[in-house]
Amino acid sequence: MCRSDRRASFTAVVLVAVSVSACAAFDTRDTKLQAVKTVGIISAVGDEIIFAKGGLTGLNNRSQSFPIASWGLDDLIVQQATTALNGRFQVQPVSYNRAAFTAIKDSPVAPVNLVRGDAFKKLVQTEVSPQGLDAYIVITKAKSSFGSGPRKIEGIGLITYGTVMESYNQVHALYEIRVFDGKTFEIIEKMTAPPLDDGGQVTIAGPSRRIDEISPSDTGNPAANEKLHAAIADLVARSLSTTLSDMHLADVR
Amino acid sequence: MVGVGGEYKPDFEGTNRSMLSPVPIFSIRRAGSTEQFRGPRDSASIALIDFGDLRAGPAAKFVSSRKANNYSELNGLGDVKTTVELGGFVEYYPVDWFRTRGELRQGIGGHHGVVADLSADVIVPLIQRLTISAGPRFTWESTNATSPYFGIDAVQALATGLPAFDAKGGAHSVGAGAQVSYRINPQWEVHAYVEYERLLGDAAKSPLVTLRGSPNQTTVGIGASYAFDFKIR
Repeated sequence: MCRSDRRASFTAVVLVAVSVSACAAFDTRDTKLQAVKTVGIISAVGDEIIFAKGGLTGLNNRSQSFPIASWGLDDLIVQQATTALNGRFQVQPVSYNRAAFTAIKDSPVAPVNLVRGDAFKKLVQTEVSPQGLDAYIVITKAKSSFGSGPRKIEGIGLITYGTVMESYNQVHALYEIRVFDGKTFEIIEKMTAPPLDDGGQVTIAGPSRRIDEISPSDTGNPAANEKLHAAIADLVARSLSTTLSDMHLADVR
Repeated sequence: MVGVGGEYKPDFEGTNRSMLSPVPIFSIRRAGSTEQFRGPRDSASIALIDFGDLRAGPAAKFVSSRKANNYSELNGLGDVKTTVELGGFVEYYPVDWFRTRGELRQGIGGHHGVVADLSADVIVPLIQRLTISAGPRFTWESTNATSPYFGIDAVQALATGLPAFDAKGGAHSVGAGAQVSYRINPQWEVHAYVEYERLLGDAAKSPLVTLRGSPNQTTVGIGASYAFDFKIR
């Protein structure tokens, strides 16, 4: 066999090996999901709302955080996810240390996140009861950049974007969903909730929409603002079923 | 995001002739997010450290070769090979609408010197879709980064008729740039920019510039880009 034939054969073998291993990876995920019968749902998204400013701001543009635990947003998320998943899985109630899940933050140094792996893996093992379900679905805050500036926004919030000609407000509910194998605690599937179709021009990597009827100055105590509460609950309701469907966990579209 | 643009810029640094050339646009970012502000002179970079207002990481720039036989004013000077400049960047936003950025890069290939770029940009969203930005620029280069392009040794002097010149490093250029970008929809964006720099120090004093070129260097560019999602499972 001449050298060029050997090289071609080697290349073909490598291509086949790569293709087979890629297919195996997809098969593993689907196979694992097919084997899942019982799931528990953990939500740690909605304990606070953050008011932020972007674009053309004043010099003092620090974001402000307000507690909204009284809205029961995490209970709503668990309830809606349960409804969406019940056709396919047996959703069982679980108790968990919500504060431990909300305390997890990404390091600003990207390689640190790569080295330490997924921080929620250990929490699912230690902070969730009962253990032994086939899978655990963990819904936590996600982050996004905002506009073309440096600002990062996270979880539930209201942002005010200023331009020379106008300023407007946009509410967001940014979250990500992980599915953990209940035995190995490896991640079977992970997805960040995608933007809604009516997300507006200053796009955010997650559910958001422009909201003209609310301004940060008239919200006073945000927890008591029913309009704000309703707007956020609407974002969650509209995006959760879509995201679960995109993850092939529920067929609810 | 992919796109294409056109850039009307000097054929090589120090010349007074310019040429229009195509510029590919390519970047990867998270689905749904807008691209962070980027200046036309920024090197390709990745923010491995990202505190939001403070970002830092590796940066790389590709500097095309300078072929002597392509331009009559370079005849006799010899070629300068393609250079890859590798280094890092730091950028800091004191407020959302003001960016300062510094880059430090080491050349490999055509030159083996050090290049430092400093810039500042005021970023003003005029309306939701239209943003303008502008600010000053400054570049410092070491002797090893300057001499391959602006130095003329005895042999080159004999071949070109230019006087010999020992180009040293130092302040290399100062200038300003401005950019305007318009977001047509979440997918499409068009932009235009102008960058002016005036060569300083030995780069400006080189006979190649004083006798056959110009210290004034202007680049004008336009482009359109399309953002789309793809998913790797």
